[in-house]
Amino acid sequence: MAIIEAPDSAPLALPSGGTVAPHQALGVFSRPGQSKGWRSWITSVDHKRVGVLYGASAILFFLIGGMEALLIRLQLVHANGTVLNAAQYNQVFTMHGITMIFLVVMPLGAAFMNYLMPLQVGARDVAFPRLNAFSFWCFLFGGLFLNSSWFLGGAPDGGWFAYAPNTNPIFSPSHGMDFYAIGLLITGIASTVGAINLVVTVINLRAPGMSLMKMPVFTWMGFVTQLLIVFAMPVITVALFLLLFDRNFGANFFNVKAGADPLLWQHLFWLFGHPEVYILILPSFGIISETIPVFSRKPIFGYPFMVFSGIAIGFMGWGVWAHHMFASGVGPLSVAAFSVTTMFIAVPTGVKILNWVATMYGGKLTFTTSMKFSVGLVGMFTIGGLSGVTHAVSPSDLQQTDTYYIVAHFHYVIFGGALLGFFAGMYFWWPKVFGYKLSEKLGSWHFWLILIGMNLTFGPMHIVGLQGQPRRTYTYNKGYGFDFWNMIETIGAFIIALAVLVFLVNVFSSRAKAKREHITVGNDPWDARSLEWMVPNPTPAHNFDEVPVVAHLDEFWHRKYGEDENGRPVRVKATDDVVQAGDPTGVHLPSPSYWPIVIAASLPLIGYGIIFNLGFAALGGFVLFLGIYGLGLEPSMDPDAAHPHDDHDDTHDDAPAAADDEESHEEVTASE
Amino acid sequence: MRWMRRVALIPALLALSSCSGTKQDIFSPKGSIAKDINDLQVKVFIAAGVVGVIVAVMLAYVIVTGRRRGKADGDEEPRQIHGNFRAEIAWTIIPFVILVGVAVPTVTTILNISHRPANAMKISVYGQQWWWSYEYDLNGDGTPEIVTANELVIPVGVPIELQVQSRDVIHSFWIPALAGTRDAVPGRVQILELEASQPGVYDGQCKEYCGLSHANMRARAVALSQADFDKWKEGQQENAPTPAAGTAAAAGLDTFKTKCASCHQINGVNKIEGQAALVSGHAPNLTHLMSRSIFASGNFSLFVTNTQGQLVFNRNQLEAWLRDPPGQLPMAPTEARGMPNLHLGDNEIDQLIAYLQTLGPYPAGAVAPGS
Repeated sequence: MAIIEAPDSAPLALPSGGTVAPHQALGVFSRPGQSKGWRSWITSVDHKRVGVLYGASAILFFLIGGMEALLIRLQLVHANGTVLNAAQYNQVFTMHGITMIFLVVMPLGAAFMNYLMPLQVGARDVAFPRLNAFSFWCFLFGGLFLNSSWFLGGAPDGGWFAYAPNTNPIFSPSHGMDFYAIGLLITGIASTVGAINLVVTVINLRAPGMSLMKMPVFTWMGFVTQLLIVFAMPVITVALFLLLFDRNFGANFFNVKAGADPLLWQHLFWLFGHPEVYILILPSFGIISETIPVFSRKPIFGYPFMVFSGIAIGFMGWGVWAHHMFASGVGPLSVAAFSVTTMFIAVPTGVKILNWVATMYGGKLTFTTSMKFSVGLVGMFTIGGLSGVTHAVSPSDLQQTDTYYIVAHFHYVIFGGALLGFFAGMYFWWPKVFGYKLSEKLGSWHFWLILIGMNLTFGPMHIVGLQGQPRRTYTYNKGYGFDFWNMIETIGAFIIALAVLVFLVNVFSSRAKAKREHITVGNDPWDARSLEWMVPNPTPAHNFDEVPVVAHLDEFWHRKYGEDENGRPVRVKATDDVVQAGDPTGVHLPSPSYWPIVIAASLPLIGYGIIFNLGFAALGGFVLFLGIYGLGLEPSMDPDAAHPHDDHDDTHDDAPAAADDEESHEEVTASE
Repeated sequence: MRWMRRVALIPALLALSSCSGTKQDIFSPKGSIAKDINDLQVKVFIAAGVVGVIVAVMLAYVIVTGRRRGKADGDEEPRQIHGNFRAEIAWTIIPFVILVGVAVPTVTTILNISHRPANAMKISVYGQQWWWSYEYDLNGDGTPEIVTANELVIPVGVPIELQVQSRDVIHSFWIPALAGTRDAVPGRVQILELEASQPGVYDGQCKEYCGLSHANMRARAVALSQADFDKWKEGQQENAPTPAAGTAAAAGLDTFKTKCASCHQINGVNKIEGQAALVSGHAPNLTHLMSRSIFASGNFSLFVTNTQGQLVFNRNQLEAWLRDPPGQLPMAPTEARGMPNLHLGDNEIDQLIAYLQTLGPYPAGAVAPGS
């Protein structure tokens, strides 16, 4: 297991002249020491590495979900297709939805929030770094567990929404729905735990002077998102446990013959499911609230309104869930109430759209790839939002529901909203993370191909939906008028695939070019506004040399620029004088640990045990038990543990024996 | 600027119009409930379209002017405007007011379309994997006099109250020309009001994912004039004729009794208890099979039109179905959901078809067997 070299030179010299030996490794419970290579990634607790891991995994799952989408489109390119039979199709569309929502969009949001939120509030890391690493491995193993179902008797086929009683063993006899319940329970643990972490980080670890109303809009949107996760995930956790127990342990929560009401599942699921869609979109709203001001060279228009509209969306999102149940039989009074609340959630969303437009108004716009994607989000989300308002009118929704018109709506808001926002963020923050930019030329191809592709794919879905093509159907007959537009949609889907290919080429070729030509992007390549740009690129492992004291919103910008009498910015300091040097002296980093990945690995074991053989579950339980003990008993590697920490200032220097401190004061460079 | 808005309406209306005139489109109401919905939704779509055009124009404007400014040679930076309180209040209040304008007719329409007229004709609609059945309790005594499948036959101009139910999982009954959809939830009776305004045939299908063959769970409403409906009612309440002894049809009836009657019903022929039963407990009632236009969850036509404009029995399709039902539509017979392959011999199929062909009355214009 752990190999910690015992320091062979003199122990740490303290100012007082006394010496203290570093903690001796307790054998199996010692801390890992690698700072490079794959093992450093497995044991890292650095929020930046966790963010990169989330992002890379999400992109891998995006390719899987994308292939599922292409299979769907190939099956539906003409009537009575034979690419997939009904049973296969039902698994593919179910997994497409689960993958895209839980394994792509949520983790992409987590990637950005993990990487940026500590930096944007001026912190060294999140509040609970080992828990953060655990969140990531838990998510990854949950996603792999879910996808292992393809090879172990069939994937879930009840739809991502898994309505009871179709999901009970009589109607879903394969193990697919057990993989669904357990897989999402595992990824749900990841989300819940990660949310607690980031909420505490924002509340407790902000730099001095950074009041809540001086946080960047991205951090605010991230904060609201994490609060939504904290309260929404437990609801689906309960629902999934009820389903798991019905299917495996003879419970009757959704057994109609025993007196249950199937609507219980729907209420629980959508109480989670509606806040979930705001969890999906708010991070991207936050991203473009950073990029649009930078590329318009103006501050975000109406900062307090942007913050409060985000809070309003988060809050009001709890009052609309039964708009997914207008046809379910909740009665006309409930339908009327939810119809009205659903309409009014358009108000704060509209405020955001208009504020982004107003930010651009009068601005000096540079259409970098990031800006293209940001503006693309504004346009595409508006389309999706307006079709959403048409669903809020519930009599109309009784015609639209479960047709492709709904599919069009949510793809415009999730693909055209969340995903375009994530691409905007990737092009923007790539130099911060990796030290070089992605190619703008390939980025432009990526953007235009994906914009055209998505509109060709999801635009006609409005039409066929209104023509009556239902969703979740493995085929359609000739004579209904669906044929032509379905073919266009399939062509559009392959254009999206081409765009994603261009993006991947961009990722790899930009990296190769940067290595070959030793490109370093330097400080602050975009002339940005927020604190994460006040450190070198790529971000040093320790984040800030010294904790910045914050006096303004857009603190970094205000250190570079003052304003003249017309309100126009005037340079007051050179960028390189403002950006910190990247000197890690005196910064204590949270130590790496094996236990997060070990604990995370126990969970799928328990899952396989519930499905196949309780022996696995026992083994998983043992590993879990061992892991929690290990996490609790592993020593701190802080060499100053022997003396109190009340004298931390910039001159605090216990560096003479720096060579021995490599294990914990390591500079973890982002190894490729 | 108003002319721009009017011009912008044209593509919106064009798009809307391309959405109508097809079999299941939601903009061609043929009944009062669907019409109430349509009157509201067309207005809402147009309003949404107008808002969309306004936002698009604003976005295009800031893009074009800002880009021009961004490419300009001068170094002049933009004024760092942080916000405008009045604008924020305006674009909070104005959308709010617009939405109130949408909310009020919405609530009115919701209440209108869910109103249950006292004189409505009540029909029970049952969803089960993967077909629709309809039961008419004409005298209100609790037992249905008429049990049919696939096609819901109703009189024109009479309010109908559908009592939508399920015998297994959640389904959703939808005939867009007549009304919105209503879920069929096991353990519940859910009400859907509709009323056809003119005679016609209106297509629909199940709209709540219900498993393997959800895509094939079709429905149809057939609206008849009152006179035709009364005639239909009479015809449906007769028992099946007993075929003459020694005919192929008589042999077919024997085959039916041994191979089919554990699931299917024919009025006057006893259902066989105790044999393999379906999870939902029901298969279609076939007593007046030949009075229908579709079979097998509405996926196949019972009659095709010949060159002389007559309706001719679609024997080939029914034979293919009887030969191998799971080969025609995906089903799960090994799990007691859907019709199994009974491995019927050619003789048995011929005899069964001969018997089924006696189960009239035939629709007007159809060529009856033997002629």
